[in-house]
Amino acid sequence: MQQHRPSPVISQGPKQSDSRGSRWLRPKKGRPAAKPGSVTGAARAGQRSRRRRLSLRAALAVISGRAAGALSRRLRLGGGTSIVGLVAQRLYPDIIRHLAAQLEHGSVLVTGTNGKTTTSGFLAAILRDAGLRVWRNREGANLLRGVAGALVVRALPSGNLRRAGQAISVFEIDEAVMPQAVRLLEPRAAVFVNLFRDQLDRYGEVESVAALWRQMVKGLPETTTLVLNADDPTTASLGELARGPVLYFGLEDLTLDLSGQDGQGTAGTYQAVDSRSCVRCGSDYRYSARFYSHMGHYQCPHCGLERPAPAVRALQVRQDTFDRLRVTVETPTQLGEIVIPLPGLYNVYNALAAIAVAQALGISWEPIVSGIEQFKPAFGRGERVQVAGRTLRLLLAKNPTGLNEVLRTLFSEGTPRHILFVLNDNIADGRDVSWIWDVDFERAQGLTASLTVAGTRAFDLALRLKYAGFAPEEMTIIPSTPLRALEELIGSQPRGRKGRERGRARHQQYQPGAGAAKTSIQASPVAEEGATSPRETATPFPGYGLATALERAIEQTPVGETLFIVPTYTGLLELHRELERRGLTPHYWEGRD
Amino acid sequence: MHGRNEARLTLTLGHLYPDQLNLYGDRGNILTLKRRCELRGIELRVVGLGIGDALAPDEYDLLFIGGGQDKEQAPVAQDLFETKGIGLWAAIEDDMPVLAVCGGYQLLAHYYRPAEGPDMKGLGVFDAWTVHKGPRTPRCIGDVVISWNGMTVVGFENHGGRTYLGTARPLGKVLKGHGNNAEDGTEGAVYRNAYGTYLHGSLLPKNPHFADYLIGLALQRKYGLRRLTSLSMPPGEILNGSTPAQLTPVDDPTTLLRPLDDRLEWQAHAAILERLGLYEEAAAALRRAEAA
Repeated sequence: MQQHRPSPVISQGPKQSDSRGSRWLRPKKGRPAAKPGSVTGAARAGQRSRRRRLSLRAALAVISGRAAGALSRRLRLGGGTSIVGLVAQRLYPDIIRHLAAQLEHGSVLVTGTNGKTTTSGFLAAILRDAGLRVWRNREGANLLRGVAGALVVRALPSGNLRRAGQAISVFEIDEAVMPQAVRLLEPRAAVFVNLFRDQLDRYGEVESVAALWRQMVKGLPETTTLVLNADDPTTASLGELARGPVLYFGLEDLTLDLSGQDGQGTAGTYQAVDSRSCVRCGSDYRYSARFYSHMGHYQCPHCGLERPAPAVRALQVRQDTFDRLRVTVETPTQLGEIVIPLPGLYNVYNALAAIAVAQALGISWEPIVSGIEQFKPAFGRGERVQVAGRTLRLLLAKNPTGLNEVLRTLFSEGTPRHILFVLNDNIADGRDVSWIWDVDFERAQGLTASLTVAGTRAFDLALRLKYAGFAPEEMTIIPSTPLRALEELIGSQPRGRKGRERGRARHQQYQPGAGAAKTSIQASPVAEEGATSPRETATPFPGYGLATALERAIEQTPVGETLFIVPTYTGLLELHRELERRGLTPHYWEGRD
Repeated sequence: MHGRNEARLTLTLGHLYPDQLNLYGDRGNILTLKRRCELRGIELRVVGLGIGDALAPDEYDLLFIGGGQDKEQAPVAQDLFETKGIGLWAAIEDDMPVLAVCGGYQLLAHYYRPAEGPDMKGLGVFDAWTVHKGPRTPRCIGDVVISWNGMTVVGFENHGGRTYLGTARPLGKVLKGHGNNAEDGTEGAVYRNAYGTYLHGSLLPKNPHFADYLIGLALQRKYGLRRLTSLSMPPGEILNGSTPAQLTPVDDPTTLLRPLDDRLEWQAHAAILERLGLYEEAAAALRRAEAA
């Protein structure tokens, strides 16, 4: 199969011409020419028939995959891009390579523990503003089948991509899948945002992902630009192994140093640090500035390994409001201010990563600024939803560092917040929730105006909060499934028999789809609803299920105020379904193009 | 709970390798011990013991060692063997309560044999050894329940190595989950007052009885109380800011401690039991919390 790879254009010169993104546009590629050297007629004929066979196979894969997807959507089994990819890959394992090779502007892959979705979102917005057609995989569908699906739904039954001209793909890729993805897609740029501890039961440990990455980087073609976070030691160290160009991004604003900000950097600033020892010699790093977890300006006192100087740098970060960060960004060719419309320092890194890739691809400055400033957050990444006069804001947090940063963002100003935590332990969340003990919940203590705790592991989280100094009475605990023993215990007490019946009635009321819950949220403030008044808030077992938890958390948030929802990954998906059922969010797998 | 500093009970916890072995929410165990001591007017000082630090057994009343990444475990094993070994042995032979979780547990047994490469030598406190049977053998992952002293202990396990006991006594019998090796129904190991286990999640927050047991052991040992002989649960003597002189010998160390309101702890405990279908045990756990 022929590959036509664009060579990466690293912008080095002075400011680009003002036509948006013009410089990097390469000549339109025609039909790929035969490899020089394969000249004999027989060879050419053989190659032709092989190509025909392969495109037949691709066509078959596309047709079957899309049929499977249509069927799955019809049967309401799900969004159906993963099944599309799964079927297509089964019929033609190389379908990703086959289709991706047709993209005129190639592919960019984004990986890392936290920030894949937002980084690729920023980048897609920038590239769109530069006049390109950007194709992405659906958020969370970041295994190979998700990538295959994203390509196949844009393919014709002939096995060719529709409108491949002016097209570029930006795929977020699961950390562990990166080696295969790189081999199949031969990306123009590969972005490594960071590496934290996440879902240990799935990946083994941080170090094994790092080893996987190192192996992969050694095999990357020279045409792939590596875009690396200079402030994350493990991620940055990949640069030493690269054969192609490397572009680092990082923070230079030393006022963000944790030790400076919080006095001695001690009490209340517990940090979950996931890589602390030098990748080269094993000594512990020394930090001259630490921004969060192991992100910062580090140096190995033993072998001298130090943070590489980033080419794309944030010189100053100022917070205008909760979710307006004014960042002064310097690149080799530009110096300017960009407003990031999202909360949290981690989003500065995400934006820097996207800017670095855009620079590597030769995109001019205007689309970079407009792409970031007008960015609409993906679901669960700070997105706003209006419900019954309240604003819901969803902030996904799936690992200790992610959650620490969300808490810091929420509570650093000392403003009391209404909070709903959702802790699930499904496979996609990681089954092991012991990481919550490494999260600095102590900083939220005394700053919650209301606190609801939900999810399959609601009790674990409630217990964690108790040990962080919250009184159990401050929390409304609503697990996903009833605790039978507790219901029985309440039921067995003299007063409780009645209580038990009430409980049952309540249960029915909160069944998904049982109109009461639905209307109360959509229409009037809930307090007016007689059945769910304070009498019930006082009962020890206020119900179960995420719909109930959401309802309760909204009830406790006065009209006009904001409820911050901090869920793990599947908690976010559940919430999304719940909000969607109430007609409150856009449909999930829209945006095929 | 306050004042009278000179009479206040004090315990010192040595936390071994807090920077290297901290993978599985081990902080929860420390927080739990600290808080449960504080609520009873006992001061718990926590001292981190890193690589290169010596372990002087008479400076501590309680030791904790957690689990870590493979990469970080090798230097720890070396340090444990060369620097802290003698002190740790002395402490254990002198009945100091020690809790070792996951990697820490493996390090206190004879050796850890990886799928490839040389054995990692352990301290041999527990007559047990650990073998990793290669990538084709699945890891032991999931919720786990064991029976310990007639009560349940719940946790989460996540280990690739399988541990086999020689003459070491297991900590408990597996009711649900894998335990030491997914074969013989044992979980953990005990030698004197040293407890090794695969249970984390964290272990102690959801198992307040086990946390109190360790605190009780430490108090008993430090303040010259009779060595534990039985594990019955006679009605508790209240210890709340009382001076050591007021204590009398008791059999069950946890009865030294004033009961706390552990309803949330036991609900979290019961939630795990119910997920695994142990409804009777869950009900028993909640009843125990109410009775306290």
